[in-house]
Amino acid sequence: MTLAVTPDTVPEPLHVHLHQSAIRQTLALARRSLLGRLRQPAVLAPSFVFPLFFAALSASSYSRVKNAPGFPKVDSFLQFGLAAAIMQGAFFGATSAAADLAVDIEQGFWERLMASPVRRTSIVIGRLMSSFVIGALQSAVFIGILAVFGVRIRSGPIGVLVIVLSASLVSLAMSTLMSTFAIKTGSPEVVQGMFPLVFVMMFLSSTFMARELMNGWFRRVVDINPISYLAEGIRGFVIERPLTGWRFFEALAIPAIGCVLALGLCLRALRRRLAQM
Amino acid sequence: MHLVTTTTSPVLAERLVRRFGDIAAVDGVDLEVPAGEIFGFLGPNGAGKSTTVRMLTTLLRPTDGRAVVAGFDVSTHPSEVRKRIGVALQDAAIDPLMTGSELLDLQAVLYGIEKSRARVRAGELLERVGLTAAADRRVGTYSGGMRRRLDLALALMHEPVVLFLDEPTTGLDPMSRLALWEEVRYLNKELGTTVLLTTQYLEEADQLADRIAIIDRGRIVREGVPRELKAQVGAPTLLVTVPEEQRDATREVLLGFGDIRPTAEGTLGVGLRDGAEAIAAVVRSLDQAGVRLQHMELNEPSLDDVFAEATGHRLEGATSRLLEPGAGGPPGKKRRGRGGRK
Repeated sequence: MTLAVTPDTVPEPLHVHLHQSAIRQTLALARRSLLGRLRQPAVLAPSFVFPLFFAALSASSYSRVKNAPGFPKVDSFLQFGLAAAIMQGAFFGATSAAADLAVDIEQGFWERLMASPVRRTSIVIGRLMSSFVIGALQSAVFIGILAVFGVRIRSGPIGVLVIVLSASLVSLAMSTLMSTFAIKTGSPEVVQGMFPLVFVMMFLSSTFMARELMNGWFRRVVDINPISYLAEGIRGFVIERPLTGWRFFEALAIPAIGCVLALGLCLRALRRRLAQM
Repeated sequence: MHLVTTTTSPVLAERLVRRFGDIAAVDGVDLEVPAGEIFGFLGPNGAGKSTTVRMLTTLLRPTDGRAVVAGFDVSTHPSEVRKRIGVALQDAAIDPLMTGSELLDLQAVLYGIEKSRARVRAGELLERVGLTAAADRRVGTYSGGMRRRLDLALALMHEPVVLFLDEPTTGLDPMSRLALWEEVRYLNKELGTTVLLTTQYLEEADQLADRIAIIDRGRIVREGVPRELKAQVGAPTLLVTVPEEQRDATREVLLGFGDIRPTAEGTLGVGLRDGAEAIAAVVRSLDQAGVRLQHMELNEPSLDDVFAEATGHRLEGATSRLLEPGAGGPPGKKRRGRGGRK
C-alpha cells in the first residue's frame, strides 16, 4: 500500500453547504460555559455570599475608620467596601471559570472539542466570555443588595454602568490569567490552589483599605500592585461624583489592558498545549 | 491542491509511528479500511490501538509515517479531516450539566450546520438512538448506556464519512452493549458508514467487524477476516472429561485423532486433525476402549487463539466471564475457551 499525492478529486462531504461561523461557535461555547456555571449553584454561590459576608463583617468592624485623617470621604465603610466585594466576587468567579476549563481538559470534553473543526481560540474565548457575563451579574447583585443597606453610587447611573463594565473586565482579565494555568496544567486542583495566592495579592493591595492610611514597605507593595488600581477604579465611581478622565481610564482601560496581556499569555499556553499533541 | 489518495479507502495509514520519549506506543502501523467496512482494532490495554485512533482523528501528531483519512493527510490538513469524521472516544466525557438536546445543538454549531437543519437532524438522531424522551434531561442523569448512545448521536450529527469508535462498549451492561452493536450495524448496513472501532473484547470484534487487525505492543500482528484468521490457527479442540483412573487410556485413544493440548485440570483436550467430523469416531473409539465419558465439548478456535498464536500470550481479560451478565464484558454465545491461560 502506498499513499500518493494527486490533485483533489475527492468529492466534498455531505455537509459542504454548511454555514461556518467562528462567532457562532464562540457564542455557543460561551452559552455552554454560562449554563454550566449557572447550573452549579453550590459552586457559584460562594462568589456571591462570601464577598457580601466579608463586606458586612468589615463594615461592622471598621465603621470608625472612615473618620481617620486621610481616609476618603464616604457615607459608610460599607460604601467603601462595595469595590472590595466586587473584586472578591470577580476573583472567586474567575477561579471557578478557570477550574471549569481545567475540568474540561481533565475529563476529556476538551478532547471532544479538539476532534471537531472548531477554532481552538473559540474554545478558550467562549469559556472566558461566561466570566464577563458572570462578572456583570455579580456586580449588579452587589450594587443592588448594598443599596438596600444605604450604599449609593455617587457617580449616578453612568457610574453604575461603568462599575458593572469594569467588574466584567476585571473578571475577564482574572479568569483569562487563571485559564493560562488551567491550559498549562489541565488540573482543577492546581487552579483552585492558586486562589489563596490571589487572595494574598488582594490583601497586598488597596482593595480592603485606603492607600492613604498605609505606609512603609506595605505601601510600596500596594503602590506597584495592579490590583490596587483595579479596585480604586471601581471605588472611584462609588464614592466620587466628578467623572474624571483618570477615573474612566482606571476603571476601564486598566482592566482592558489586563485582559489583553492575560489573553496573550493564555493563547501562548494554548499554542504550547496544541504543539504537544 | 489537497493531499488525497489514489484509492477510495477512507482510512489509510502507512508506517505510522508515535513515540512518547523512548517508548514507541505505535511502531509502524499499516492500515487500510475500505469504504463501507466495519474494521475492528483489537488489542489489550496499552497495545497502541487508542494511540493509533488518536492519530487518525488528528488528536495526536504522528512521530513518523503518514495517514490519510477521508481523503486528507492528518498531519497537513487536520481541519479537513475533522470536518469529515465522527469521533466517539472512550475517555472524552460528555458534559453532565447539559441536556442531550443542548449537546446536539452545540455539536451542530461546531460543525457549522444550519439551525433549521440541525433541529431536524437532532430529532432524527435522538429517535434513532432511543433518547427522544430523555432529550431534555441533563446528561448527568443518564445511565452509561444512554451516554454512549448520545455520544454516538453526537458523532453522527454531521453525517461523517468515517466513524471512529474508541472502545464503545467498555463498562456497559450486556443489554446496553447489544443495543449499541445494533446501532453500529444499522449505521454500517443501512447508511453505509465506514466504521473503525477499537475494542479489547474478542466477541465485539468477532460479532461486529468485517475485518480486524490485532495490535500488540504497537505493531499489527494479524489482519484479516475473523473467520479466516480463526481457520488459520488450526483444528478445533475437543475437550473430554473422564474418570481419573481412565485418563491414561483416554489419552491413548485421543492421540489417534490429533495432538494433545493443554486444558484445565481434570479435562483432556485434543486438536482434531479432521475437524468436527471426527467426533463420532472419537466417541466410538472411547466406547470401544471402555471409557466412561462424563462430558465432551468442541471448541472452535477463537480470536483469543488467534491472538495467542500471533503474540505468544492471551488477550488480557478475554475470559468466558466477559460473556456473563454483569461481568463487564460483551454478551453473546458462550465461549468455551481453552484452559492454561497464561
